[in-house]
Amino acid sequence: MDIEIDEKEISVLQLSDSFFPTGLYATSSGLEALSQTRKLKSKNIFQFIAIQLQQVMGPSDCTAMGFAYESCKKKDIVELLRADESLYYMKLIEETRIASTRSGNQLLKCVSTFITNNKMLKEYQIAINKGKATGVYAVSFGVVTSSLNIPKKKAGMMLLYGWAVSIIGAALRLGILQHFEGQKIIHELGPNILQAVLENVDRPISGMWQFAPSLDILQMKHEALSSKMFIT
Amino acid sequence: MNSKRVPRVGIGGPVGSGKTMLIEQIVPILSAKGYKVSIISNDVISKEDAERMRQNLATDKGLMPEELVIGVATGGCPHTAVREDPSINLSVVEELESKYDFLDLILIESGGDNITTTFSPALADYFIYIIDVTGGDKYPRKRGLGIENCDLLVINKIDIAPYVGADLKIMERDAKIVRGNKHTVFVNSKTGKGVNAVVSLIIKDVLFDALPKSSK
Repeated sequence: MDIEIDEKEISVLQLSDSFFPTGLYATSSGLEALSQTRKLKSKNIFQFIAIQLQQVMGPSDCTAMGFAYESCKKKDIVELLRADESLYYMKLIEETRIASTRSGNQLLKCVSTFITNNKMLKEYQIAINKGKATGVYAVSFGVVTSSLNIPKKKAGMMLLYGWAVSIIGAALRLGILQHFEGQKIIHELGPNILQAVLENVDRPISGMWQFAPSLDILQMKHEALSSKMFIT
Repeated sequence: MNSKRVPRVGIGGPVGSGKTMLIEQIVPILSAKGYKVSIISNDVISKEDAERMRQNLATDKGLMPEELVIGVATGGCPHTAVREDPSINLSVVEELESKYDFLDLILIESGGDNITTTFSPALADYFIYIIDVTGGDKYPRKRGLGIENCDLLVINKIDIAPYVGADLKIMERDAKIVRGNKHTVFVNSKTGKGVNAVVSLIIKDVLFDALPKSSK
């Protein structure tokens, strides 16, 4: 029914909106650290996001989200917790790990105020409260998009689009970009986001990976800075 | 309501108005009365405020464990972090509530901001907005969400009012016009003058005169 499709689309818009409260605006995923080491230009921001989509967010977060989504559809809490644990320990930067779990937990709580009858959403939160899961953001995102019956690939697009927009927001606030440049980059990132989703959203959790060592080291240094705007 | 919920006071105000120093005056008074307090300090650009309070109140004075002073980075969005999207602050509050059941009160300091700061009611039960006299005695009259909506307006640095041409009587009169019967307190956070009145209002209006948990 058209009405049913429209309702799902509203959920897609709602969760993709930067107004949706998840706290992602407080992270720059290493951009602030990078901006302190060299002068960045618009093309660098595109590269920064594109490389992270390919090397980090796609193979780790998008994979974990897709696996969590499938686990929810199968009502398999054991596999869901495996996705949670795998992604949590794959995040090497302590502040990133903590920020991701905080955002994920708030996402679950927010959605639970209007989705009150979903078994996996409830079970995941119970596991978190018992200390058996962390609520890391991408896994929580898989749980809530499953509970809202948003198609999995679309959920992957939403996850990576939302992350990319948060980095553009950080670049604007750091004074690296002006607003039109930011929108141009978001538009140009479309193929990169799509490719990252298609390559990773069906990947098994055992095949999850990430590799961006220089960025990891930069972010570890960033953690120790006393003057900074962003969590990482 | 969560049975573990700890009462929370949000403290907002412009950069340099004295939010951190007000907390540094409030906490020792509450501690002397037996209340256990935690502080969440929202940073706009640095960790300096959180580090200073941790050093002063926890390390030097021993009024709280060091881990009960927590700095939160706001990505340059101090407004958002305490109002539109308080997710990170709420998450920290919930962690404190689950780990430290002895807490009587959580103080949440916003990043320095402008006169439109307010706290989400989901985050803070009571909102203190602090300004100082250096902006001139027109400040309360010019209104703004912070001044109008806060539960308690604190006007700081009263000792230098004569030197900046600010008339405290005008500020008091205008605050009453703008805020009706809601409280306004004049303080000098450097010396502590007037801070007892702030603490008394917190105990009465936030803690409802409850005794410290440790005394029960």
